Amino acid sequence: MQIEENIRVAFNGLIEHKVRSFLTMLGIIFGVASVIAMLSIGEGAKREAIKKYQQLGVNNIIIRDMDLSDKELEEARAKFSPGLSMKDVEAIRQVVPQVVDVAPQAEREVETKYSDKSLKATLVGVTPCYSELLNYTADLGSFIQEDHCVRQLKVCVIGADVAAKFFNVSDPIGQSIKVEDQWLEVVGVLQNKSLFTETVGELASRDLNSDIYIPLSTFNARFEPTKQLSSELKQITVKVEDTGNISHIAGIVENLVSRHHFKNKDFSIVIPVELLKQEEKERRIYNILLGSIAAISLLVGGIGIMNIMLATVMERTREIGVRRAIGAKRDDILSQFITESLVISITGGIIGVLIGLSLSLTISLSTEITTNVTLYSVVIAFLFSVLVGVTFGYLPAKKAANLKPIESIRYE
Amino acid sequence: MRIQIKNLTKKYVMGEVEVNALRGVNLNIKANEFVSIMGPSGSGKSTLMNILGCLDTPTTGQYLFDSIDVSTLDDDKLSEIRNRKIGFIFQTFNLLPKLDAVSNVELPLVYAGVDKAERREMAINALKRMGLANRGGHKPNELSGGQRQRVAIARALVTNPGILLADEPTGNLDSKTGDEIMAVFRELHDEGNTIILITHEPEIAEYADRGIVIRDGLITSDEIHAEARKFHHAQL
Ligand SMILES: Nc1ncnc2c1ncn2[C@@H]1O[C@H](COP(=O)(O)OP(=O)(O)O)[C@@H](O)[C@H]1O
Ligand SMILES: [Mg+2]
Repeated sequence: MQIEENIRVAFNGLIEHKVRSFLTMLGIIFGVASVIAMLSIGEGAKREAIKKYQQLGVNNIIIRDMDLSDKELEEARAKFSPGLSMKDVEAIRQVVPQVVDVAPQAEREVETKYSDKSLKATLVGVTPCYSELLNYTADLGSFIQEDHCVRQLKVCVIGADVAAKFFNVSDPIGQSIKVEDQWLEVVGVLQNKSLFTETVGELASRDLNSDIYIPLSTFNARFEPTKQLSSELKQITVKVEDTGNISHIAGIVENLVSRHHFKNKDFSIVIPVELLKQEEKERRIYNILLGSIAAISLLVGGIGIMNIMLATVMERTREIGVRRAIGAKRDDILSQFITESLVISITGGIIGVLIGLSLSLTISLSTEITTNVTLYSVVIAFLFSVLVGVTFGYLPAKKAANLKPIESIRYE
Repeated sequence: MRIQIKNLTKKYVMGEVEVNALRGVNLNIKANEFVSIMGPSGSGKSTLMNILGCLDTPTTGQYLFDSIDVSTLDDDKLSEIRNRKIGFIFQTFNLLPKLDAVSNVELPLVYAGVDKAERREMAINALKRMGLANRGGHKPNELSGGQRQRVAIARALVTNPGILLADEPTGNLDSKTGDEIMAVFRELHDEGNTIILITHEPEIAEYADRGIVIRDGLITSDEIHAEARKFHHAQL
């Protein structure tokens, strides 16, 4: 009941000195708003990163054939490197421990047509295990099957963009599209993949939604390599049992492939999970930085509160004396003033949360940056403002409580 | 309700200067007495009153409040005594300016832990007794001096303390209003309250049954007024 009374008195004071109260709250408001906005940026970036690397498979080691100039290619071949090939795939399967599966993939840029429309696309030759290793799921129809590979069928699975551009809303399954000089029957349409806006290691950014997937055997049989000396494969994806010793296994893979290529550096290895960790480490620095900024503004806010509360206690010495004279205990005065600083900091905290939320929304709407407000960041920011209120309100409140009744009631 | 004071002194020290505000006061006050304390300005009346009201502590000497040695009580206990057993009335009213009359009167009950509905009712009743039934919603600055002092008396009465200490309660009032306030005290005394009243006006002191005079921190005279004496004799 007394708490209720304290809160009422505190709010009346707040409303009475609107401007002063607002200025006092500014530090808390900035602190809380910046914590929420910045954490939402950090969280957004984190989720983007996780999504990006999940697409590449967190259990995967990716070996890419390097993009070499004609001259470099000639040199590599002169030093007996065959480039990435099925031999590497076989060797990895047989030698490297803890390998769950290996997916070879050949690529080439193609010109593709359907009725009067044409597109540039990446033609990718794959085996059935590709879909499982890289989390590809078909929206319509199915992915490349074992049977397609064995019989070297002229079938394809198209990316969501290709489907949209060629077929709009009509059903692409069973239709044939022309890729270079070959007619391929569409057996599946892939789920929309989010854009790969960044280059990850050797994996150049590209739009996976405009890829066309066909059986690797069909690729080899029907499509001439663009360059005479091109490697047989563009990429090998190796899935391992667990991520714990993935870099160790990647080392073995690298040695093996390197030996097969006679020490030519014509391939590169990307370990998505390692890159994820790397990015997380960089983000930690960002987090520490933002944490310090928030801590400083909360500190400034706290000092502001302490300052105003000390002034309030001075101003209201007589009131304190009267309250003590009619029976208020020290603790009653203490809790009255702590309640007041809490009301200031909590009000500031709530305003800060609202500003933080709208800031985060504004950022995500008006820039490329993805933001993501988590409940825990709101809770943390809010709790901090409460903590600041108690901590910095304590000293002035203690001072008020320790005033001698007789001296304060005579105070002019 | 008894007040017993033995050899009470109070010394104020301000840097180099020492003021002996009380220099050995002995005093006994029984339940339901109406005592006035007179004396020139600076003689130590307020100092004595503040000690009696447990707002201040003596330098030496003993103060028994209801047979309890006050010097043995901690701050919380003293607050409790001020809250439940003593009603203090000041020359300058000491109402909280932001609270209306009812809320001012309610305040001691807040600290006594009385719940909201009950304390509101008690406060309204106390105001009614003071003839301010329709002034409950007024802030102090919307009331006259006499009305403010009545609110202050209502606040002092609301916990039913039994003893009222009034330090120059009419000092800020014109003489007509002062007389009205004194009539109130008289009535409260008749209802059974012990009243100790400080004043420097003889006319005001006459309302009391017993007159004490203080000079330079010492009681120089302590006598029962003629009319009261008659009353006393009649009782004996
Ligand atoms: N807090 C104080 N500090 C120092 N001196 C004081 C204080 N209070 C009162 N005095 C001094 O003590 C003496 C008695 O004061 P007081 O009890 O207020 O007298 P009265 O109420 O009779 O006018 C005066 O000389 C006054 O100046
Ligand atoms: Mg005085």
